[in-house]
Amino acid sequence: MLDWWLPENVSTYGKDIDRLFHLIYYITGATLVLVTVVLVAFLWVYRDRPGRRARYTHGSTPLEIVWTVVPALILVLLTMLSVPAWSKIKMTQPDTDFIVQVTAKQFNWQFTYPGPDGRFGTADDTTLLDEMHVPVNKVVRVLLRSQDVIHSFFVPQFRMKQDTVPGREIPQWFEATKPGKYELPCAELCGFGHSGMRAWIYVHTPEEYAAWAAATLTAKASTAGDEKKGEPEREEKTKR
Amino acid sequence: MTTALVEPPGVPRPVRGLHIPPPPRDGGDDDEDRGPAPQRPILDNVRLAMIFLISGEIMFFGGLISAFLVLRVSAAAWPPPLQPRLPIAVTGLNTLVLLASSGTMLAAGRALRRGDRAALVRRLLATAALGAVFLLVQGYEWTRLVSFGLTLSSGVYGATFYTLIGAHAAHVVGALVWLAAVLALAARGRFVDGAAGPLRACAMYWHFVVALWPILYVAVYLA
Amino acid sequence: MSATSATAHAHVEHHELGFLRTYVFSTDHKMIGRQFLFLGLLMMILGGALALVVRWQLAWPETPVPGLGLILRETGGILEPSTYNMAFTMHATIMIFFVVMPILAGGFGNFLIPLMIGARDMAFPFLNMLSFWVAVVAGILMLAGFFVEGGHAAAGWTSYAPLAAVPEYTGVNWGQNLWCISLFILGVSSMMGSINYITTIINMRAPGMKLFRMPLVIWSLFITAVLLLLALPVLTSGVAMLLFDRWLGTSWFRPSGGGEPLLWQHLFWYFGHPEVYILILPAMGIGSEILPVFARKPIFGYHAMAFSMIAIAFLSWIVYGHHMFVSGMNPALGMAFTVTTMIIAVPSAIKTFNWLGTLWGGRIRLTVPMLNALAFVSMFVIGGLSGIFMASTPVDIYIQDTYYIVAHIHYVVFGGSIFGAFAGIYYWFPKMFGRMTSPVLGQLHFWPTFFFFNLTFFPMHILGVGGHMRRIYNPMQYEFLQPLQWWNVLITIGAIGLGIAQIPFVINFFWSLFAGRKAPVNPWNATTLEWTAPSPPPHLNWGPTLPTVYRGPYEYSAPESTDDFLPQTTPPVARAGARRH
Ligand code: HEA
Ligand code: HEA
Ligand code: CUA
Ligand SMILES: [Cu+2]
Repeated sequence: MLDWWLPENVSTYGKDIDRLFHLIYYITGATLVLVTVVLVAFLWVYRDRPGRRARYTHGSTPLEIVWTVVPALILVLLTMLSVPAWSKIKMTQPDTDFIVQVTAKQFNWQFTYPGPDGRFGTADDTTLLDEMHVPVNKVVRVLLRSQDVIHSFFVPQFRMKQDTVPGREIPQWFEATKPGKYELPCAELCGFGHSGMRAWIYVHTPEEYAAWAAATLTAKASTAGDEKKGEPEREEKTKR
Repeated sequence: MTTALVEPPGVPRPVRGLHIPPPPRDGGDDDEDRGPAPQRPILDNVRLAMIFLISGEIMFFGGLISAFLVLRVSAAAWPPPLQPRLPIAVTGLNTLVLLASSGTMLAAGRALRRGDRAALVRRLLATAALGAVFLLVQGYEWTRLVSFGLTLSSGVYGATFYTLIGAHAAHVVGALVWLAAVLALAARGRFVDGAAGPLRACAMYWHFVVALWPILYVAVYLA
Repeated sequence: MSATSATAHAHVEHHELGFLRTYVFSTDHKMIGRQFLFLGLLMMILGGALALVVRWQLAWPETPVPGLGLILRETGGILEPSTYNMAFTMHATIMIFFVVMPILAGGFGNFLIPLMIGARDMAFPFLNMLSFWVAVVAGILMLAGFFVEGGHAAAGWTSYAPLAAVPEYTGVNWGQNLWCISLFILGVSSMMGSINYITTIINMRAPGMKLFRMPLVIWSLFITAVLLLLALPVLTSGVAMLLFDRWLGTSWFRPSGGGEPLLWQHLFWYFGHPEVYILILPAMGIGSEILPVFARKPIFGYHAMAFSMIAIAFLSWIVYGHHMFVSGMNPALGMAFTVTTMIIAVPSAIKTFNWLGTLWGGRIRLTVPMLNALAFVSMFVIGGLSGIFMASTPVDIYIQDTYYIVAHIHYVVFGGSIFGAFAGIYYWFPKMFGRMTSPVLGQLHFWPTFFFFNLTFFPMHILGVGGHMRRIYNPMQYEFLQPLQWWNVLITIGAIGLGIAQIPFVINFFWSLFAGRKAPVNPWNATTLEWTAPSPPPHLNWGPTLPTVYRGPYEYSAPESTDDFLPQTTPPVARAGARRH
C-alpha cells in the first residue's frame, strides 16, 4: 500500500522518478486537503442564516500576493527537481557495449542482437520476436525504430517509456536491478492490434545470460556465418 | 432598489445603430470607478471583424508555412534531385501583377472617398482583372509543372508546393468572388453614399491576400 | 454589413416571424444560443453512450454489450478491437467538439454576451446564424462517418500520423476522411462565431460598460473567442494536410515520402493545448458568476481573476510540448516545456484561491447552480493537481499514456467543464426559457452525479499509477494488469451510475421547459444586466432604451444599500455628478 500502487521498481533511474512522484504526491495531496477543508468549512461556517449579512470586500492584495507567490515557489522547486532526473534519463547516454536494436511494427516487437561481431546489419545478427534478454546490473542501450506507425516502448517496472517514430532511430537506455520477467506493452495507439502488442523482457543474472547468449546468439551466429572467431570476444563482453 | 429599465417589451424602435452603440448618456460618474465609458468605437464592426478574420487566416497559413519550413529544413537536398525547378522568373512577374492589384485597390478607395462612382467601378474592375490574370498565369504554370512530372504525390516537394500555393490560390479565388459581388453592387451605385462597409472589408481582405503572396513566393520559390 | 442591419429592420417591422425564422433559421442570438445548447446536449447522449460501450468492454472484455447486438449484428454485440478504437475515438471527438464546445462557447457565448454587455444582438446576426448551421453540417458529416464502409475514425481523438495518415494502417478509409472534413468545417464555423463574439464585446457594450465592469463570464468568453480564433485555424491547416496525405497522396506526415510524423503532433498540440483552455475558461467564467450570487459577496479579486485568465490564454501557446515529452521530440525542448507548464498552474492557483476567498464571510445558499459551481471548483482542483504530476517530465515518462491521463482528462473536462455547464444551465435556465427548474430534481441530479463521477474517475488515478495503459481493448491481455481488473469493474459500475444519474436532469429539463414555474425577471437577485431583461428576453432584448451601467458586476451586500445587491444599472446615490468637472 505504501508504494501507492506503483509497480515494483527494478531500474536504476526508476527510484528518481518514484521519489519525484512521491514528492508531488505529498504536495498536491496537502494542497487538495487544504482546499477541500477550507471549502467545506466555509460552506458550513458561512451558511445562510437569518439576519446575517455577507462581508463586503473586493479582495485583499496582500493575500492574493501570498497565494500567487507560494504556489509559484513550490512550482519552481518542482521544476528544479525535475530537471536533473530528466537529463539523466533522456539527455545522456551512459557508455555501454550492450546495444540492442528494437524495431516495432504492427503489432510486434523485434529485437536484433548484433551477434559476435558487435555490429548490426551483418550475417551473424540474431533477431528475436517479442522477447528480449538482458543481463542484470548492466546498462542496456536500445535503438528504437518503427517500421510503420508510432509505437511506444513501455516497461512499467523500469519506469521507462519512449515512443518509436518511423523514419528515426531513438537511442534510450535502462539498467535493470533485479532478475525476472517483465512485460513490455506498447503504450501508443498503433491500430487495432495495439492492445496485446506486448513483449517480454527477461532480466538474467550474468551467468544465466551468458548461457542464454551462448545458446541463442552465438549458436545462431555459427549456423549463419562462419565467423567463429567472434565467440570468445562475445563471452568477454557479456561478462562485463 | 432594483431600478427600472425593465420596460415592457413593446415594439422597440428600429435600430439603425445596431453596430454603433449610442453615445453615452451622462450621469453616474462620481469617481473614476464609476465614470461612464464613452463608447464611440475606434473601428467600426466590419473593419474590426476583418482584422480578426485576417488574424485567424494568418494562423492558418502560419500552420502551413511552418510545416513547410520544418520539412524543408530537414530535407537532405532541396529541391530534391530529378524534380523540375519552379518557374521563378514568370512567377516573379506574376507577383508584380498581384502587387499592382493592391495598388488599384488603393486607388479605388481614393475614388470612393471622392464619391467618384465611375472611377470606383473602373478601378475595382482593374483590380479584379489583375487578380484574374494572376490566377491564370498560376494555373498555366501549374499545368506545365504537372506535365514535367511534379505532382502532389511526388514527395514532400510536390506536396508542399501544391498545398501552399493551392491554399493561396483558393483564397485569391474567394477574394475574387467577393470582389465581383462588391463590384456588381458598386456598379449599381452602392457604397458612394457612405455605407461602404462591405467594400472596405473586401478591400482589406484583398490586401491581405496580396500581402501574403510575397511571403509565399520567397519561402517556396526563392529560399 | 448593411445586409445585417437590414435584417434587423425586417425583424422589428414584422414582429411575427414564421416558425422557420423564429426557431430554425433565427438570427436572434438567444435562439442561436439555445440551438447550440440543444445540439450539445443531444450529442452528449451519443458521446455518453459511446463511453459506456468503452467501459463495458474494459470491465467485462469481449462479452456482448447489452443492446449493442442490435447494431453489431455479426458479432452479437461483442466489440472487436477496431470497433473499440472507433468507440473511444469518437467518444472523445464528440464530447470535445460537439458537446463541450457547443454548450459552453456556442450556447452560453451566444446567449450571454449580448445580454450581459447590454447589446441588442451580436454584431453580425446573420453570420451568427450561419455559424450554427455550419456547425450542424460539420456534425452531420461527423455522424455520417458511423455509416461508411470501414467504420469511423479509430486513431484516437489526436489522430496521430502516420496511423491516421495512411488508410491501410487502421483499415479505416472514409471514416477518417470525414473526421478531417468535419473538423475543417467546424473550424470555419468557429471562426465565424469567434469573430462575432470579439467584435461584439469590443464594440457593442452598453453605455458605462467599461471593460473592467464586464462580468467575468464575459471576460472568459472573450478570451475563449480569441483562443478559438487563433488556435482552430492551426488545426484546420493540420487536418487539411492530413486529409491530403490520405486522399491525394501528399506526404506531409508520411515518412515514406519524406514527411515528418512528429510534425502532426506539433500542429495538433499547438492547437490542442489552447483547446483544453477553450474548454475550461467558460466554465471558470460561469463559476465566477455563480459563486458571488449565492455567497452574496463580490467576487474576490476581480482584476486578478480577469488577468489570470488572460495569463492562461497567453501561456497556453507555449506549453503544448508537454503532450510530447516522450514522443521523440528533442529532450531539451521537453525541459523548456516543463518550465512553462509549471508556470501555467500559477494563474489557476490564483483563481482557485480567489474562489475560496469569495466564499469567505459570505452568506452561502446551496442552490442547485451553486452546488454544481462548487463541484466545478473542487473537481477542477483535483484535475489540475494531477496535471502537476504530468508537468514534471520524469514522472510523465511513467504515467504518459496511462489511465492517469484519462483520470486527468475527465476531472478537468467533466469535473470542470461539464459541472460548469450544468451550473450554467441551472442558473440561466430561467432567463433562457422563462421557467424555473425544479430544485428537487436538481438535487436528485447533482448528488448522484457528483458521487458517481468520483466513483468513476477517481480510481482511474490508481489504475494509471499501476501502469494501466490507455486506449487498450482488453486489459486482461497483460499479466501485470490482471490483479487490477476489479478496479475496472468498479469504474464501469460508476460509469453506468453516472449515466443513470443524468435521467433526473433530462426529466427536469423538459418538464421545466413546459411546466416549470414562470420565472420572474430576476429570480436569484443578481446584479448583471441579463437580469434586467424580461425572462425570456424578447427579440432585441430590451425595450426602447438600452440599460446604462454605473457599477461593477458583483455589488452584493454593499453598505450603500439595504438590499443585499446593487444591479449594475443602479445609479450611484445622491452624489451623482457632484464631483464632475
Ligand atoms: C479542460 C481541460 C484541461 C485543463 C484545464 C488542463 C489543465 C492542465 N493540464 Fe491537462 N490535459 C487535458 C485537458 C486539460 N488539462 C487533456 C484532454 C489531456 C489529454 C490529451 C490526450 O492525450 O488525449 C491533457 C493532458 C495533459 C498533459 C500531457 C500528459 C501526457 O499525455 O503525458 C499534461 C502534462 O503536463 C497536462 C498538464 C496540465 C496542467 C499542468 C494543467 C494546469 O492548467 C492545471 C492547473 C490547476 C491546478 C494546479 C489546480 C489549482 C491550483 C491550486 C490549488 C494551487 C496550488 C497548486 C500547487 C502548488 C501545485 N495535461
Ligand atoms: C468533454 C469531454 C469528455 C467527457 C464529458 C467524457 C465523459 C466520459 N468518458 Fe471520456 N474521454 C474524453 C473526453 C470526455 N469523456 C477524451 C478526450 C478521451 C481520450 C480519448 C482518446 O484516447 O483518444 C476520453 C477517453 C475515455 C476513456 C478511455 C478510453 C481508452 O483510453 O481506452 C474512458 C474509459 O473509461 C472514458 C470514459 C468516460 C465516461 C464513463 C464518461 C461519462 O462521464 C459519460 C457520462 C455521460 C452520459 C452517460 C450521457 C448523459 C446524457 C446527458 C447528460 C444528456 C442530457 C440530454 C438532454 C437534456 C437532451 N473516456
Ligand atoms: Cu504498437 Cu501500440
Ligand atoms: Cu496541454
